[in-house]
Amino acid sequence: MGRAWVRPPRVRDNILKYLLVAPAVVVVAVTAIWPLIEAARLSFTVGRLNRPGSLEQYLGWENYVWAVMEEPAFWNSVWVTAAYTFLTVALTTILALALALLLAPGGRLRSGVQTLLILPFAMSPALIGVSFRFMFNPEFGLFDAFFGALIPPLANVSWLADPILAFAVCIMADVWGWIPFLTLVLIGGLISVPRETLEAAQIDGANGWRVFRDVTLPQLAPVLAVVVILKSIFSLKTFDQIFMLTNGGPGTATQTLSHYIYFNGMKYGQIGFAASVAWLMVIPMIFLTYAYAKLVFRKDQAQ
Amino acid sequence: MTGNRLRRLFSAIQVALILVATFVMLVPIAWIFLAAFKTHVDVYQLKLFFRPTLENFGTVFDAPFLLGAKLFNSTIVALVTVMLAIPIATMAAYSFSRFHLRGETAMLVTILATQFVPAVIIVLPFFVMFRDIGLLDTRVGLIVVNLAIVMPFAIWMIKGFIDGIPLDTEEAAMVDGSSRVQMIRNIVLPMAAPGILTAGIFCFIIAWNEFLFALILTNKNAVTLPIGLALFKAEEGDLWNLLSAAGIIIMLPMFILALLIRKYFVQGMTMGAVR
Repeated sequence: MGRAWVRPPRVRDNILKYLLVAPAVVVVAVTAIWPLIEAARLSFTVGRLNRPGSLEQYLGWENYVWAVMEEPAFWNSVWVTAAYTFLTVALTTILALALALLLAPGGRLRSGVQTLLILPFAMSPALIGVSFRFMFNPEFGLFDAFFGALIPPLANVSWLADPILAFAVCIMADVWGWIPFLTLVLIGGLISVPRETLEAAQIDGANGWRVFRDVTLPQLAPVLAVVVILKSIFSLKTFDQIFMLTNGGPGTATQTLSHYIYFNGMKYGQIGFAASVAWLMVIPMIFLTYAYAKLVFRKDQAQ
Repeated sequence: MTGNRLRRLFSAIQVALILVATFVMLVPIAWIFLAAFKTHVDVYQLKLFFRPTLENFGTVFDAPFLLGAKLFNSTIVALVTVMLAIPIATMAAYSFSRFHLRGETAMLVTILATQFVPAVIIVLPFFVMFRDIGLLDTRVGLIVVNLAIVMPFAIWMIKGFIDGIPLDTEEAAMVDGSSRVQMIRNIVLPMAAPGILTAGIFCFIIAWNEFLFALILTNKNAVTLPIGLALFKAEEGDLWNLLSAAGIIIMLPMFILALLIRKYFVQGMTMGAVR
């Protein structure tokens, strides 16, 4: 350390600044941009994994047309993903907001619980899938026993064998895994609502609900926007839990788009077709990412 | 008087709700912890009291499960991914933070956007390429692909930390005649070290928990822990006590790491949109 090191040649700042970002740009280009472009190319080919040469055999938009016009399974996964995204975003946001309001005031109990919130979030989504399969096992699952006691018709049913119940379990696993993180984000937002504004509203005689609706919620709006967009993106991409929990089943009742792409690409070896569906999936992502980037940069400029 | 009593009732309800929420949050985790110490027989009953055994933790490391190899793979892959990503990200983050670059906004947005690309679209071309050049089922291949998910987080997170370091110290050092590179080495890096370490831990957790890449790109030699979970689906059903023991091995180290960097988790995940 220290003296022994050779004085490096002085590089002018306006060259150095590009040298510093160059490796990162290369890594991002190779690991993220190239696959996107290559997947786009593959989406226009016959693209069978077991047929050499078919990855260079072009057939125009046929894969896209096939997916949209001839594949009920594609539309099934679109609807599953849409319902899944809508329900998980709505439920997680509402429940996380409630929990954040409960926990934001601080104190020993509340800070302790805030600390624990990190645990489900550090858990691998695959493991969350496993643990929910465990919890809903009809013979010895704890949640199964609980719901069975609460709603007798649900006692000892095979949750994961029923299309609607399996979907419900997937939603529950997702909501369980994401509430803690969103709660932490929203607590951050709640803490930054100025105290004086709240107190002024209370002095004006507004009740709790009015204060929440007219003061807290508008102040929280930017953070809520971040939460909703971020969660939508992660919900649209969902794969790990589904794979471990139901593997898309029963039948295709819980087959999300990511799972559908995986199945076509890897199980059936139709990588060209899978790539075209993957690109169809990127479209909503572009809108969400655009909205998210706008939020991030507005924040950046405000500082 | 009644107002006071009402308020006390209200706060009691709040505490009750908090406790219920905490219970719901912890039960699935606690259930895994219990099951890991149960015997094969006990796990098939809703028992809260049983004679704990450490046997499962031995079994998962024996043949045919050999969890040790997966543990090794997971450790190497996550560690090397982080060791590659963090220096590269730190350099870029410093430049983004301190200089005005041509196309800076475009670069930053692109880097942000790559985080939102579905993993399944990234893995398809890599599968084809790795098959052609013989990188399927290797740790090297997995590390390359893992960089895709880790880099955006690392760059944005470290940029956030460097943004927070006041410029004056740097300017003072520059006036003293050190070169920019020396100054980064001697002033910026030590000051940003806690932030860089935090980003490193954050990325380690992400790489450790990564599932889809490992599922598609490995099948035997380079299998990581989350994929290893699938081993415990036997013909007679899931081996829950072993799954749980493996589950603990996967999640316990991450719990400890996550608690270390708890304060920065939100900032990291939202790429600085919320601090």
